[in-house]
Amino acid sequence: MTSYAFRRRLSRNFTRFCLAVFVCICLGPVLWAIVTSFLPLSAMTSTPPDLNPLNATLENYVEVFDTSRGLLSGLINSLIIALFTSAIALTLGAMAAYALARLNMPGSTPLLLVILATQMFPAIVIVIPLFLVMSRIDLIDKHIGLIVVYLSFVLPIVIWILKGFFEGIPLELERAAAVDGASPLQVFRHVILPISLPPLFATGVFAFIESWNEFFFAIILTRIHVKTAPIAIAEFSGQYQTLYGQMLASAVLASLPVVVLAIIFRKFILEGFVEGAVKA
Amino acid sequence: MIRAWNNENQFHRRRFRLGVYFMLPTVLILLIVLAYPILASLVLSSQKIIIASDGIRGTFLGFDNYTRLLGNELFQQALFRSIYFTLVEVVCVVSLGLLVALLLDTPSGRHAFFRVVLLVPWALAPVANAVLWKWIYNANYGVLNWIVVGLGFVERNVVWLGRPWLALNMILVADIWKSVPFIALLLLAGLQNIPNYLYRAAKLDGANTWQTFVHVTLPGLKTPLVISCVLQSIWALKVFDLIYVLTKGSPADSTVLLNYLAWRETFSNLDIGYGAAIADVLFLLMFLLALAYIRALRPRKRSANRG
Amino acid sequence: MAEVTLTNVTKRFGSVLACDDINLHVDDGQFISMLGPSGCGKSTLLNVIAGLEEATSGEIKIGDRVVNNLGPFERDVAMVFQNYALYPHMTVAENIGFSLRLRKRPAQEIQKRVMDVARMLELNQLLDRLPRELSGGQQQRVAIGRAVIREPSIFLFDEPFSNLDAGLRIRMRSEVKELHQRLGVTSIFVTHDQEEALSISDCIAVMRAGRIEQTDTPENVYSRPASKYVARFIGSPQMDIFSGEFERQDGRLLYRIGEALFEVPPLINQPEAPVDIGVRPEHVLIGEKGAPAEVHIVQPIGPFTYVTAKWEGGEATSRVTGIAHLKPKEQVYIQFDPVGLHVFDRTTEKRVNLFSLTA
Repeated sequence: MTSYAFRRRLSRNFTRFCLAVFVCICLGPVLWAIVTSFLPLSAMTSTPPDLNPLNATLENYVEVFDTSRGLLSGLINSLIIALFTSAIALTLGAMAAYALARLNMPGSTPLLLVILATQMFPAIVIVIPLFLVMSRIDLIDKHIGLIVVYLSFVLPIVIWILKGFFEGIPLELERAAAVDGASPLQVFRHVILPISLPPLFATGVFAFIESWNEFFFAIILTRIHVKTAPIAIAEFSGQYQTLYGQMLASAVLASLPVVVLAIIFRKFILEGFVEGAVKA
Repeated sequence: MIRAWNNENQFHRRRFRLGVYFMLPTVLILLIVLAYPILASLVLSSQKIIIASDGIRGTFLGFDNYTRLLGNELFQQALFRSIYFTLVEVVCVVSLGLLVALLLDTPSGRHAFFRVVLLVPWALAPVANAVLWKWIYNANYGVLNWIVVGLGFVERNVVWLGRPWLALNMILVADIWKSVPFIALLLLAGLQNIPNYLYRAAKLDGANTWQTFVHVTLPGLKTPLVISCVLQSIWALKVFDLIYVLTKGSPADSTVLLNYLAWRETFSNLDIGYGAAIADVLFLLMFLLALAYIRALRPRKRSANRG
Repeated sequence: MAEVTLTNVTKRFGSVLACDDINLHVDDGQFISMLGPSGCGKSTLLNVIAGLEEATSGEIKIGDRVVNNLGPFERDVAMVFQNYALYPHMTVAENIGFSLRLRKRPAQEIQKRVMDVARMLELNQLLDRLPRELSGGQQQRVAIGRAVIREPSIFLFDEPFSNLDAGLRIRMRSEVKELHQRLGVTSIFVTHDQEEALSISDCIAVMRAGRIEQTDTPENVYSRPASKYVARFIGSPQMDIFSGEFERQDGRLLYRIGEALFEVPPLINQPEAPVDIGVRPEHVLIGEKGAPAEVHIVQPIGPFTYVTAKWEGGEATSRVTGIAHLKPKEQVYIQFDPVGLHVFDRTTEKRVNLFSLTA
């Protein structure tokens, strides 16, 4: 083997080694959590942890559904809220994104800056006044309350992503439709939307994931009835006592939907990153 | 705007009007859920709010809340810690993200599997992430101690979340682990935007790997790198879930960052006005960073094409 | 019926003047090309006529209606775009029939009319395909079909063949010409290719920097260009233009360029200002007599050879039939056929009618 080929081989093996390390670091913690979630308390708390597969048990998962812990209702609440938030955000956001991209809205630049800015400040700034107002009009611990508040940060992202996409649709397409006799609304419905299904989908999934994972607003603006999954998980980690087994089991259960969604729609999501990098 | 509404040309007029209708719901919602609270927050921060049995009452304090927080040692430390946290996180996340992106850009790394691997930490809820690391960091049963003691780096179990600076840095590690995927994917997309012929030209010119990296790759990544830095620093300032689940600020308030402080003052100590003031300071910090983001984006804007 | 009249039409984008005081009349059924280089405003003008852009000032009439305030559909125009602009998610049949679907025509009618148009454009085998499955030429025909089915008063074409390769472009030209002969609809065709404009139009409007320099038939635009700009733009290779002055010798009027004297046809007007002379390659003669020149470049293109020679007055290109047995650096003599001389005022650059033959 020539020195060049040898170096190539070396560097390729080195790369493969690095990739292996990378995968371990990335998935390691997650896999560890999953594995230990199937262990009974005794196995988990022995040192070193007793990883005998014969010990595998579902007891953590079963206990997690004990209604006093609220994981089931947490999952349901998260589902309702994430679903409605992403649906509304998609609808209103697509409309607004198209208006900003193509419908010659003056003041679209300041609007855009506002939208950008909303991504970048902490929820704490708006949650305090919102909390006060919502307490007064009895929206605390109601689904609709949380949905509306979630729109505050989901809507801007949706608009930002979709606007970039709509701007990429050739203007001539819309002109051709107008010449054919389509009103602007018809252009939107018959030409723009059908072409945009993939990014619309991807953005919807993205919005769903963001809503599902949200914790801060949830913990402030809900009490008992609308407790979401993240809250349920956090409750397993108490001030004085942490039920690790159940905590991990609930975390796994609550993360499953979003991770699965992300993997299923990975093509769209990853393309979204590409778009984002190009647009930027 | 009135001119546009009444534009003579039917084509433009119709489109503009639709645009207004399309924007209306969004503008309405954002006004209610964003504009109003931001302004209200400023107002609140100038007051001392008392929640009494018959409602909420505010006494006007002017800038007192602000002067109080500027002189408050806890606030100063939280500010300092937040800045430290942000700086270290940005450096680590962006460099690690770049490494991962480069790794995934190699022939072996181009497989879709690796990108999916990246998506897993990204998709996790921050709370789930916190739970994950809480388990790993557990002093008695956590796997980190198991490894570290087993390999002989330390003699006894370390209470990772029990010592002031250590706890803060462990939180940092947890957040870095979760944040790298997004940045890596962003930089990967940026990498793939660098045209191949630049690399070929460099090769023909005799550049080695390092030189190619410095003179072709890095310049081509300038914008995504800047964006990554700004985005990541903004997100670093937002950290909350990790603190809430892992330490709740302990030990001895050493893991209290600005965002957490604001929440605690408002909802635990019920000093709403003061909490709002802290929140507004945090907002100011982020706003400045957001401006930096916009400046970074500006030069690339292309002017419209005609003719 | 479907005549187009533009009166003092101006279009500004902010501070940029795209169309400057355009006056144009297109007769019913006429095929007119708007010809000019990129950025001369021809596409903008087309969009203004279509109603996709608003005229900053001026009046646009179609037929006897003033249409300034109307949208493209209301103006009853159809347009074929440079990039085809086919709806990517619709089949060929759906693309063509879209306008009818919008008007809620019954399905049978739509189907029949789509079939008729498809047959006319030889698209009937492709009706179920999506645009991305078609070649460039096929896509362009679908775009034409989409316009034809509208049965509009006016066809507008925006450089439709720029994206096609050479051979296809020439074929499509004759298809469009044939279509025009068959349907007889007033057509406005924008292009930067002067050969294209010459070959298919009844009338050409040569544009430059937002203004129309000359509106005339292809023959006139070629043999009686109204300005140096038009003269150079039309015709390939370019007309050569030289500066000199008139001189009388032995009672004859000659034009002197440097040391050389050239014959000119009889005058019908008196020259009032200094003028330049233009001559096309087919009227540049290489031979044994005339101004001394040195052969510079020889370009055989089949039936002709273009010989570019350097001489005292500059460079001159001559069209020689067949093969020219000349080599670079050879010494030759050039003459201009008096029949083919064009006169332009040196300062205004406009055509001056001095000679009896080419006036």
